[in-house]
Amino acid sequence: MSSPAATSLVEDRTATRSIPVPLRKLARLLLGLAVAAVIWEGAVLLFAIRPYYLPRLSTILMAMAATPRAYIDGFLRTLAETLIGFAAGGAFGVLMGIVFFRVRALREMIFPIFVVSQTIPVIAFGALVVLWFGNTLLAKAIIAFYLTFFPVTVNTLLGLETVDPKQVALMRSFGASNRQLLLRLQLPTALPQIFVALRLAASLSLVGAIVGEWFGDTTGLGVLLLQAMFTENVVAIWGALLAAALLGTGFYAVVAAVERRLVFWSAEQ
Amino acid sequence: MQAARLPHPGPATETPPAQAKPEPLLELRAIDKTFGSVAALSGLQASVAPGEFVTVVGPSGCGKSTLFNIVAGLEEPDAGGILRFEGNSCHAADLLGRVSFMPQRDLLFPWRNVVDNAILALEVEGMKRDQARAKALKMLPEFGLAGFEKQYPNQLSGGMRQRVALMRTFLFERDLMLLDEPFGALDALTRAMMQRWLLDVWQKYRRTILFITHDVDEAIFLGDRVLVMTARPGSVKLEQIVDLPRPRRPEIVTSPEFVRLKRTLLDAIEEESMKSFQSSIAQEKTP
Repeated sequence: MSSPAATSLVEDRTATRSIPVPLRKLARLLLGLAVAAVIWEGAVLLFAIRPYYLPRLSTILMAMAATPRAYIDGFLRTLAETLIGFAAGGAFGVLMGIVFFRVRALREMIFPIFVVSQTIPVIAFGALVVLWFGNTLLAKAIIAFYLTFFPVTVNTLLGLETVDPKQVALMRSFGASNRQLLLRLQLPTALPQIFVALRLAASLSLVGAIVGEWFGDTTGLGVLLLQAMFTENVVAIWGALLAAALLGTGFYAVVAAVERRLVFWSAEQ
Repeated sequence: MQAARLPHPGPATETPPAQAKPEPLLELRAIDKTFGSVAALSGLQASVAPGEFVTVVGPSGCGKSTLFNIVAGLEEPDAGGILRFEGNSCHAADLLGRVSFMPQRDLLFPWRNVVDNAILALEVEGMKRDQARAKALKMLPEFGLAGFEKQYPNQLSGGMRQRVALMRTFLFERDLMLLDEPFGALDALTRAMMQRWLLDVWQKYRRTILFITHDVDEAIFLGDRVLVMTARPGSVKLEQIVDLPRPRRPEIVTSPEFVRLKRTLLDAIEEESMKSFQSSIAQEKTP
């Protein structure tokens, strides 16, 4: 324990700053981004890098600002595909994790099929899905789903298996039903593991959506990327790339923030 | 629900139960329990009267935990034994939800704060959260947890966590409480305080308690009766009535009566410890 004088001194210092911690963190993040942008811009100018390899950041941003509609539409479309695939994959994964945990026979029957399904390259699977569902938003969401459900299933199962048998015995001694056992003990115990998979799934569902768009569509970040590649428009490639990075990072940050709120106990232990 | 049971040919059926004694809350007769080739309990006999505080001591690995799991309803004894609760013969599984059980470790849920951990059993019973919380909040000061209701288990000391677990057990209002070495992991000072505190709470609520411990002092200090278990396979070797006056003061542990009781119990336990020690050595010699 520090002396009262020392603690009041610390309090004074924080009081004079009086900027909340999240804001300060955000400010540092923005500062970091600004420094990276300056280095990018400066390096291209200083070393005279040809735009074919690396265009100036300002050129890319100006090109994006010139045709904002395409980027905004593409962003929203890809976001929708990603979110639907992620939500469906997450829900299905948790459900299958619970089913496999409860019913051993089903695990032995179906789990190997899941594993085999994951060894099929997403490109091959994507071609099939587009054949079945056409160039619809659903088709892209299904490809995103295909990439996300498996890690969530595996981690849910792993998490459920870490439940302390003594805690199960305690709940049973209180007369708990299987449902109460699942909701009050097993799922909360598995939650940290489930979120590890959800963070991974956040990135994977974006990959699924973009790959899905490559099989043919008119809007989406994947489409922008493909068009830019065909026309060898380097600035447009970088533009689509930045938009995809923004989407991926933003989505990941949201999932991680939800995790910090819901799984507050595991970080502290 | 009840399977037909053969009448037990033990001596207990020959003599009619004494009228003067109140009917025991819990009665165990000829209880065996084997796990594969290992006999954990053999011919165990014990009874607990309503309102009584019974402590159980014995060498390690004597089957105390098996006994507790049976009484908590978590483990079924071998066929042939008799288990009676509130005067009715029953299966161990029938005791699930009827005995409040506190295991050795506090087993608090890290995602629940103090109050929500304490009301866990009430919630399982189907009580509304608000109602259960209100009930728990009233009990907090008695358990030395006033002002800590919003804290999470990782913010609490070992003694406090144990009190939360005890509160959870108390809130699950059942006639019989099973406590499995609840103070085993605490330092000596905290443990002594918790023992006195438990006696106060017990005297106020008048529950029946079956209490496992390694510590002979603790067994005598707390109990109306001490059961000493034999080495494995476990049964009751000695039943010692503790007629020390209540409320018990801390200095009672140095009184001649206390020391005399302790001597008797230690002799009995040591004999059994030697047996289990020798049998474990014999097992090592014959692989």
